Amino acid sequence: MDIVVALAFNGLVWGLIIALIALGLSIIFGLLDIINLAHGDFFMVGTVLTWFVLEATGNYWIAFLIVPLMGFLMGALVERAVIQPIRGTAALSIVATFGLSIIIQEVVRAGFGAAPKRILPPIEGTIPLFGIEYDIYRIFAAAVSIVAIFGFFAFLHRTKLGTWMRAVRFDRDIALAMGVPARTVYMVTFALGFAMAALGGAVAAPITTVDFQTGVDVLPFCFMAVIIGGLGNLPGTVAAAVLLAVTEGIVTSFTDPTVARIVSLCLMSAVLIARPHGIFAGATR
Amino acid sequence: MLEVHDLHASYGKVEVLRGVSLEVGDGEIVGLLGRNGVGKTTTLKAIMGLVRASAGRATFDGVDLTGLAAHKVPAQGIGYVPQGRGIFPNLTVEENLFLGLRQDPSPPQRALVFDRFPQLKDRMDQKGGTLSGGEQQQLAIARCLVMQPKLIILDEPTEGIMPILIKEIRSEIRKINKAGVSILLVEQNLVTAFKICSSIYLMEKGAIVHRSSAADLKTQPDVVHRYLGMAA
Repeated sequence: MDIVVALAFNGLVWGLIIALIALGLSIIFGLLDIINLAHGDFFMVGTVLTWFVLEATGNYWIAFLIVPLMGFLMGALVERAVIQPIRGTAALSIVATFGLSIIIQEVVRAGFGAAPKRILPPIEGTIPLFGIEYDIYRIFAAAVSIVAIFGFFAFLHRTKLGTWMRAVRFDRDIALAMGVPARTVYMVTFALGFAMAALGGAVAAPITTVDFQTGVDVLPFCFMAVIIGGLGNLPGTVAAAVLLAVTEGIVTSFTDPTVARIVSLCLMSAVLIARPHGIFAGATR
Repeated sequence: MLEVHDLHASYGKVEVLRGVSLEVGDGEIVGLLGRNGVGKTTTLKAIMGLVRASAGRATFDGVDLTGLAAHKVPAQGIGYVPQGRGIFPNLTVEENLFLGLRQDPSPPQRALVFDRFPQLKDRMDQKGGTLSGGEQQQLAIARCLVMQPKLIILDEPTEGIMPILIKEIRSEIRKINKAGVSILLVEQNLVTAFKICSSIYLMEKGAIVHRSSAADLKTQPDVVHRYLGMAA
């Protein structure tokens, strides 16, 4: 029973981190109509940058603070150089972001190396939780993800830039005619998506391996969350990410992870058949 | 004030505007009429920078609008009420109202809206999509007024509005005009156009084919019939 509880908690923690990453994927899709195949690599860049900053400073908390900012700047740069020139052509966006994904992976392999590395959790120790001893750092990771997710929704609904994002997402031309700088909104949205994935990477680095291919594993999971939650449906994406990860965690405690992933894929297929616009379609757009 | 000279624009390979020229002077209400699909809305969009002009230019108080990024056009003093009103249904009335402002609205900016449209004050937290057609039109006009424009471009403001409210909208447009704001009005409702416009341009196949005062046009039923397909 203990293993079920532990893996369910691990699933919950991982689901919250995935939710943070998938939110970025979802807003980039919802606002820019970009199917971002490089989004998993943005997460990977977050883990690798964390490793580099930790190597340079010896302090994980510096990485925790500056890696999301570095992700934001990189996101702004990528939006201007890669995304902006192809905006409005969804098919090209798949090709361009796939190419970007390969470039990012190869640059990281060249600079960081092909061998996976590990980062020790900056908070050690465990606390009793539902009858098991659970890592304090994992609870911290879940808390950071929850705060970041709520922070993102607060930003979206309580700031001028967030209002502009929702306006541009609904009708770009009308927003422009009201004086909303849509190009800046696109850039900030993409940069924010990168920053959230990078924060996810910084938080996840001590509980996963730091590897140039990590993004390849994360991307399908994020897409499943976005599809099950409803394309462009942000609260739905968060709920689906947590649901999927907890389900996989519990299934993994009885069988192997491959079967758990098959269960997730079956769940996604069932949702696509029964509710093609996602479980939470229509709740928010 | 607004001068449009030989404006051309295309959607892909289809040329929609073929040399539109018109003027709106200080304090004027100018009508732009024509059948569906002749390029009226495209003309307005080209002025607002939402459709790129392939040739010709539009200037406002000497500033070349065709060279400006679309989001910078409202700051020149031009408000736009698009066809269908363009209310964001997913934003609250307050968010819709002050969308174009960089900072929080000042008390005078709030007063400007609430004095003219007091009913909006009680609906600030409501989603824009829950308002009736007439209320949405008021919100769309109020959203322009917040920016303190010198010219408001209205694209079919009476479309889809209950007949009983059309008179109110006409009266509102007159009041705004009397406060010193010029109006460029695209309208299918001929009665409205005749009642409030000082001069009227008629469009056909992407070009201006006739210009006269509203009073003169009333006396030319053949022109009205030829270009609008209706009796004056």
